[in-house]
Amino acid sequence: MSPLISPPQATVPQATVPSCHSAAAGPQAARGAPVVALVGAPNVGKSTLFNLLTKSGRDTGNWPGTTVEVGRGLWSLPDREVALLDLPGAYSLDPLSPDEEVTRTLLCPPDERDRPDLVAVVVDATALSRSLYLAAQVRECTGRVIGLVTMLDVARARGRRIDVEALGRATGMPFIEVDPRRARGQRSLAEAVTAALDGPPLLPRALCEPAAPQLVVLPDSAQDAPSEPTSGSEPMVDPAVSALELGDERFAWIDTAVASAVHRDRPVGRTGSDRADRILTAPVLGPLAFLATMWMVFQLTTTVAAPLQDLLDRLATGPVTSGALKLLSAVNLDGGLVEGFVVDGLVAGVGMLLTFLPLMAIMFLLLSALEDSGYMARAAVVTDRMMRAVGLPGRAFLPLIVGFGCNVPAVSGARVLPNARHRLLTALLVPFTSCSARLPVYVLLASTFFPGQAGTVVFAMYVISILFVLGAGLLLRSTLLRTMGSEPLILDLPPYHLPLPRAALRSTWTRLRGFLRTAGGVIVATVAVIWALQAIPAGTDDPVGQVPVENSAYAATARAVAPVFAPAGFGDWHTASALVTGFVAKEAVIASWSQTYAAEEPESMNEPGHLGEAVRADFEKASGNHTGPAVWAFMIFLLAYTPCVATLAAQKREIGWRWTGVGVGLQLGLAWTVAVLVFQVGRLFA
Amino acid sequence: MESTSRRLDQLPVGSRAELGSPALEPSRCRRLAELGLRPGAQVTVLSRTPGGGRVLAVEDARIALDRATLRRIPAEPVSR
Repeated sequence: MSPLISPPQATVPQATVPSCHSAAAGPQAARGAPVVALVGAPNVGKSTLFNLLTKSGRDTGNWPGTTVEVGRGLWSLPDREVALLDLPGAYSLDPLSPDEEVTRTLLCPPDERDRPDLVAVVVDATALSRSLYLAAQVRECTGRVIGLVTMLDVARARGRRIDVEALGRATGMPFIEVDPRRARGQRSLAEAVTAALDGPPLLPRALCEPAAPQLVVLPDSAQDAPSEPTSGSEPMVDPAVSALELGDERFAWIDTAVASAVHRDRPVGRTGSDRADRILTAPVLGPLAFLATMWMVFQLTTTVAAPLQDLLDRLATGPVTSGALKLLSAVNLDGGLVEGFVVDGLVAGVGMLLTFLPLMAIMFLLLSALEDSGYMARAAVVTDRMMRAVGLPGRAFLPLIVGFGCNVPAVSGARVLPNARHRLLTALLVPFTSCSARLPVYVLLASTFFPGQAGTVVFAMYVISILFVLGAGLLLRSTLLRTMGSEPLILDLPPYHLPLPRAALRSTWTRLRGFLRTAGGVIVATVAVIWALQAIPAGTDDPVGQVPVENSAYAATARAVAPVFAPAGFGDWHTASALVTGFVAKEAVIASWSQTYAAEEPESMNEPGHLGEAVRADFEKASGNHTGPAVWAFMIFLLAYTPCVATLAAQKREIGWRWTGVGVGLQLGLAWTVAVLVFQVGRLFA
Repeated sequence: MESTSRRLDQLPVGSRAELGSPALEPSRCRRLAELGLRPGAQVTVLSRTPGGGRVLAVEDARIALDRATLRRIPAEPVSR
């Protein structure tokens, strides 16, 4: 059988040439505000600095025509405002990934007028020579550049003194010390940026003619390398001959700079990070430590979040609902369609979503702490072999782990993989990673049906999620994606740090706000559509807006779907309705589920645990008293079927409708098959 | 690659070696060089990772490589 994969397509559509000054670059920045671009390798503290300078005012969005994310924000200097760009991490301007390509195109656009007004290269003091490679290349294409040195504290702890001024003299560009994690060095940074914007540009580094600065691109013979820049105006300088010489010239420039700026108090020795890595990346202990870490993360999210959730739940069902009712009666809108929409739709639905915010916050906080500590890179090393089992490099672990937070950015994050087929496979597997929106449903069901072991049940769901990723990967590799190249593991391990609460909180807030902003609209729209379906009668004489829920169009839809789930033990229309809503957004599952019961017995919603009771009764009835297996089957179906419409939209962007369709078929097919198997086999043993 | 020369995957943990030119596609060679793993650089093999990979120290940086990549990088042991 010939492989069905379509030929690799150009990864960056040719229609749009990205530009720092285009409308998309920073809609909120004042017109004419200077554009300052932050660039640097991954893990140098670039985004932490960005969040600090813009006070977390991150307005992330995809770059036009791509799915690579570029952060934008306003940075207020004492005398002016600056549009700050947070460009994707790049080791050099010779791109190996679409991210690096966007960075390259933005820094050295075909039209010189599109260039940022200033490029700030963020340089890691603990890996100076490597960081300077990017600085060397940026210096070759623009004279408006400054260097920011981070991680000086870590370098000092390792016996390295970096003379920042000497570094500036040796490289011919200003260098400033900053510590974004501790919010230090902001004033000198502001002064340096002002001076660089107002002063004359530096002469570009000797490689280029000063009159016509241009990017020198090394030839690339990699088969799957990203497409060439969108315009032919970027000159290639005598590629074959100059490639090696150019590389050597840059390394010589770097070596001179490093020699004059770095003083070693003691020879290179084993650091604390190295000792930690002997355990955390070791062949047997490493994977065990990884599992223990993941287990701890999910224990914390279940046990710490619970009391906070209860508090918010009481707030939403008590004061907020009665407040809304009072407000409605004050403006004479009580008792009708509007009251139904506000109380049963908005307050019951969005209020339920809000009660799960603590869960998201804790999850994001822990993920930030893991990233900031440097452990995430170790996790990629440890899981490299496991990922290879499904034909993906360890790097694919990072988008997949992001999937455990939210599938939407994870699908976009598949772009870090330079190989088109790896991107396709990753984008198809991400939906099987259990995103945080599915967690509340597990928690609700686990604490209703398996009290006392809720933490373990929820942890088991995450293990099952990993098994789904592995299984679906193997299935795809042995059927549709037979020819799968392999990507070598070449991964930089940043030194471990103690995560700093301030930086972690800032990043958590940024993610949480982004989540609320994107999920909020979908949730409100979903709740409104579902409420409308509930208000419309299906074949009865009930007046619109006063339909008993079981007579509504919504119930009719759910009843039509429900028999499909009978073999899995949950063929009840309430449950099916939750799954119908879940196709749109998993965040809305609990909201819509409770809505179907609220519509039947509105008074009882004030009773804590009412939803649990109602769900229990339905599961008992639908499964013929084999409740345990039916609940497991339901949780597994919920885990494995289509995550949400937003994920589908992201997939469509990455891999096109055809493969997105294949993905939906795979999710529904696998979810239903495994759910039926679990119920039927479980019923025999229960 | 000459059969007599040693490769990175053959070196024991704790040993130090000088790198040769990797037998990898140019884009990978370039990425290795950008990370400091260029011909002539001295590295220390720090530890083993699952699947036969290694963590290498090159100056102050730590780079994890998998077994397949290690096998394609010639390395001559040097005394410490």
